[in-house]
Amino acid sequence: MKYLLFAGKGGLGKTTLSATTARYLASKGKKVIVFSTDPQASLTDVFEYDLFGKGEVKLAQNLYALEIDADRVVADYQASVRKKIIDMYGEVPEEIEDYIKSASAQPAMSESATFDSMIELIMKGDYDYYIFDMMPHGHAIRFLSMASLLDTWINKVVDIRKDSSDVDERVKRISGKESGASEEKGMIDELMDIKNRLGFMAKIISARDTTALFYVVIPEQMAIMDTEIAIREFKKFGIELSGIIVNQVYPKELASDPNVPDFLKNRVKMQQGNMETIKKKFGDRIVAHVPMMDKEPKGLEMLEKTAYIVYGGTHE
Amino acid sequence: MDEKKEDKKRFGSIKNAIKDFVYGMAAHDMVTYSLRTRMHMENLFMLIVMGDMLGIPVLPPYYSLRLLPHVVPHVKTWKRTLLRDRDVTDRMFGG
Repeated sequence: MKYLLFAGKGGLGKTTLSATTARYLASKGKKVIVFSTDPQASLTDVFEYDLFGKGEVKLAQNLYALEIDADRVVADYQASVRKKIIDMYGEVPEEIEDYIKSASAQPAMSESATFDSMIELIMKGDYDYYIFDMMPHGHAIRFLSMASLLDTWINKVVDIRKDSSDVDERVKRISGKESGASEEKGMIDELMDIKNRLGFMAKIISARDTTALFYVVIPEQMAIMDTEIAIREFKKFGIELSGIIVNQVYPKELASDPNVPDFLKNRVKMQQGNMETIKKKFGDRIVAHVPMMDKEPKGLEMLEKTAYIVYGGTHE
Repeated sequence: MDEKKEDKKRFGSIKNAIKDFVYGMAAHDMVTYSLRTRMHMENLFMLIVMGDMLGIPVLPPYYSLRLLPHVVPHVKTWKRTLLRDRDVTDRMFGG
């Protein structure tokens, strides 16, 4: 495994588990980066280090984190498109400027920018492990399915362009005249680059031998229902879950401890009931149970302790 | 000497006329048809990549923007072609 993705409903501990896993692997001597795809990223909070928009930040030996500022990436991207048009034609026509502005204002644009940054990071191949803290459920499904959708799209676009080149060739052979545009070469290069990037990402997302997608659930009804839906939805896009992590589990001994107040005992009992449901519904998909901590796992030291609790002394 | 040159010129223009005649008889239609196919392909390409410009939603336009600089000169003509009124003669003559 090289790419580990943590997905789940909001607020269940995806970021903490991503950071914990990264900390653990880094302590084992692997060069690791943890990347947040969530627009409301909280790696900064978990690591207690300002990462937002700062690029790849080294936090400890072998441990790196990346929290992109998607709005800034979109703005920079917009500027680079404008610059290219000015370099090629001397100015940006009004209707083209309007299109750049309206395209960049779409909400899916920052999602796409994050997606492209994720591709960029993986393609550079600087790390042994890549850990992705995904955005909540529905967004994550859309985000990951983007790879196969865009891959299909770009293949169609490239096919049309290739057919056009064939026609150009035919016209040139018969009449000796050029019919294709002179910028065809630049266009084909650009298309092939996009096709390579998207094809690469689509392959990585569906490669079960190198990519593991973990779904985080807590022993509560809403989270269980959400997980069932997510499994179905991911499957629709050909993405199989590698495992389910049950997080924030209260120690069951609390239920029989006479010093524990009824309020907490009731919660523990409720969780135990839901744990049975989780076992019935997800069975052998469950790969780990993570106990509820007595304080929030934040900062490198605390994350290391959490990693010890979650992964113990061994790792597969 | 001049006469020889004149003959050669005459022969060249006859040769060109025959070439044009044969081209007109055999290949002109084929070339026109191919160019029309090429135009439709260009329109389809623009639609699938830049459909948003005409209010036709396509996939997130992130990668379309990368292709934008290469299609800038075609945008005006493409919009005009796609948005103009059509009548029965367009169908007859393949417009």
